[in-house]
Amino acid sequence: MSLLEVKGLRRDYGALRAVDDVSFSLEAGSILGFIGPNGAGKSTTLRILATLDVPTSGEVLLDGHSLVDTPDRARPLIGYMPDRYGTYDDVTVFEFLDFFARAYGLKGAARRQRVESVMGFTGLTPLASRLTTALSKGMRQRVALGRTLLHDPRLLLLDEPADGLDPRARIELRELLRALADQGKAVIISSHILTELAEICDTCAIIEQGRLLATGKVEDLLQQQEAGAVVTPELTVRLAPGEAGEAVWARAERLLLEQPRVTQVAREGESLRVRLELEAGTGPAQADAAAAVLLAALVGAGLPVCAFSARERNLEDAFMTVTKGRVA
Amino acid sequence: MSVPVDTAVSPPAPEPTASGGRSAAAAGAWTERWGDRLNPLVVKEVRQGLRTRVFWVCFGLMLLACLMVALIAYVDTRESANARHGQGYFFAFFVCLGLAHFFVIPYSAYRSLAREREDETWVLLVLTGLGPRRILRGKVASFLVQASLYASAVGPFLLFSYFLNGIALPTILVVLGLGGAWLVFVTVAGVCAATLADGRLGRAFVHFAVLAMLGLGLLQALGASYAMTELGDRMLRESEFLYLVGAALVLMLLDGWLLFEAAASRLALPTEDYTRGPRRAVGVQVAIAMLLGLAVWWFEGRSHSVAELFGLLGGAHLIVVGMFVVSDVDGQARAQRAVSQPWSLLRPGALRGFRWMALLLTAWGLFFWGLECLSANPPLRHLPLRMATLAMPTYGVLFLSLAVGLGRRVRQDRLATPVAVRVSFVASVALASALPPLAAVLTGFDGDDPIINLFNPLVGLVNFSSYDYSAGGPKMALELLYFVVGVALLAAFATDRMLAERERRAHAS
Repeated sequence: MSLLEVKGLRRDYGALRAVDDVSFSLEAGSILGFIGPNGAGKSTTLRILATLDVPTSGEVLLDGHSLVDTPDRARPLIGYMPDRYGTYDDVTVFEFLDFFARAYGLKGAARRQRVESVMGFTGLTPLASRLTTALSKGMRQRVALGRTLLHDPRLLLLDEPADGLDPRARIELRELLRALADQGKAVIISSHILTELAEICDTCAIIEQGRLLATGKVEDLLQQQEAGAVVTPELTVRLAPGEAGEAVWARAERLLLEQPRVTQVAREGESLRVRLELEAGTGPAQADAAAAVLLAALVGAGLPVCAFSARERNLEDAFMTVTKGRVA
Repeated sequence: MSVPVDTAVSPPAPEPTASGGRSAAAAGAWTERWGDRLNPLVVKEVRQGLRTRVFWVCFGLMLLACLMVALIAYVDTRESANARHGQGYFFAFFVCLGLAHFFVIPYSAYRSLAREREDETWVLLVLTGLGPRRILRGKVASFLVQASLYASAVGPFLLFSYFLNGIALPTILVVLGLGGAWLVFVTVAGVCAATLADGRLGRAFVHFAVLAMLGLGLLQALGASYAMTELGDRMLRESEFLYLVGAALVLMLLDGWLLFEAAASRLALPTEDYTRGPRRAVGVQVAIAMLLGLAVWWFEGRSHSVAELFGLLGGAHLIVVGMFVVSDVDGQARAQRAVSQPWSLLRPGALRGFRWMALLLTAWGLFFWGLECLSANPPLRHLPLRMATLAMPTYGVLFLSLAVGLGRRVRQDRLATPVAVRVSFVASVALASALPPLAAVLTGFDGDDPIINLFNPLVGLVNFSSYDYSAGGPKMALELLYFVVGVALLAAFATDRMLAERERRAHAS
């Protein structure tokens, strides 16, 4: 049985339908990436899952408890981190976590133990006596994550957790979330940073105009999109810099444009970016064969090719294919 | 980095062997147990508050000012042992304390909660399960703890002023007692104001309004304390003064409670029973006011003036409160529907709010109308005031019905929002007050014509309370009052049916 089950979720604000018939489920120990453009309904869905908002219709079950009918029972199972981290001025890291631990009803030695454990897990122990205002954004975000872990929730809802973080902080966050999933917690992350989501999430849900357009494992999503749409793989061709003058580059460009299925060739520094257009339903093997034809034509024409690579399709491609940039 | 969060509780620390260590550990355990019982907000806010520059600057300046006043007092009085300068110096010290208590503390409380909402840390607090009432109690209590720190610094100086002669201990105690009540009231009001607006523009407006109100409140409080220190013991012998003090305390207590409950309600989640607190507070307020009115009326020899005063002032107060109660949204969250009955008037929903207020206004009007009828020998010229006592809640029911109905008759749901209902109430009262006299003048009638102004909540009320000396009777016939009552009841019935239909539709969706 899934830990979280969302069935036909709908949220109307007057005439505006922010969330429209959203359904998905999530197992314990898995991470779901919630992707969508601004105004797609991600935050509204997360707020409903956090019991901060009420759906117009639909049902959400968390470990068998209805978030709509019995939110008080489900709330202790949820850890919610909004897009603003929400730390206080003039309190230290320890005091901040201690305060929330008190608010969650932890007492005495159990409270101290829990705060220390969370600080250890999030790497905040050396900063325990530091004021939260003196922390970097990445560290403040860790404090916020630590706060969501204090009551040992089973479901973590993280709204844009990687927003504004430097690369190092993002990698550390990724490791933290992976470790939490390994402990059996289900995690839902809403984010714009798709490359991050692709690396960390087991499954993805793409939402636009309040509707869930696609959901499933990242690889499955890519295959689904490739199976049903026109495929446009991109190739990068590099010529040996010592041997290729402007005339050679121009000849290569002309030759590539003459090839069937090539729709676009663009010079980018010391390489050419080539875009192919293949028929719907084309599999990876056919795409590779089309690329091989191109390479053979270049080599056959005596051009000094020193690198030839195809860019793999990723979550961004799937996202761009599925969504149309509409806002609810 | 990848260390799992250890949820197991560590075994208790081994018992210290030495007796000194044992007593220290016992004291530590005792402190921790008490710390655990405290509201978490108090611990956090006091920690936070004592680190702010505002606290230390205000505390330092207040102490410095008191010290300087004390030095001046010493120089002033050391020559003559019989000088009676206590009054003036007591007031000077009280001003130092009042600036902190009546302005800095409530404003800090307001800012603290306003920031909590701006930074969205509020939702994090709510999700912990503390609940809005406990959180607000913690906020208010923490600022009262800070206020007690200010008071402890000024306390010795206030005591010093007593030894300067010229002021009696009862006077000091009355001023300090009322000052304390005012401090609690304005702190609660400040916290309540922080829940009023959500948008940036609204927040800015509320911010300026709070500053202005606190400034005025400070002047009023200091003015009142000056008058009391000047009057000294004499005021305690006046029965009117005791009534005034009693009324002020009851008002601060009941309205403070209502404001607190209203703030908690605005901060509650839609799945909670967010209306129970404020609606219960209004109900209790009405019941206590009725009992107090009855007691005062009885002890004043069944005086009709008491019933008129309570009926009119209380009715106006109830209408203003009603404006907020009836402006709830349609329907209830599913979690509430399961436990609501048709008579659960304290539960959420515009329909139940409207019925509750209509019931309270009707009860209020009839109760004081009845008291006036039972009054001992009321003169005939007081009959109009009796009519006005009933007309006041009648106009209230009529215009609340109008305001609730207007927004919901239009298809646009934007006009049915709580703010829109309040705006429409104020607008309809303003228009109904201004337009009929204008129309009367333009058509050649008197501005206060009784028929044209029959549904004018202002001029109509004045007309109902007026005595026509030339005719030797009330200006308005009793039948006209019955007619207005009938129209108000019809409007209330129509609004009730419409709200019931909207609630049914909201629940069906």
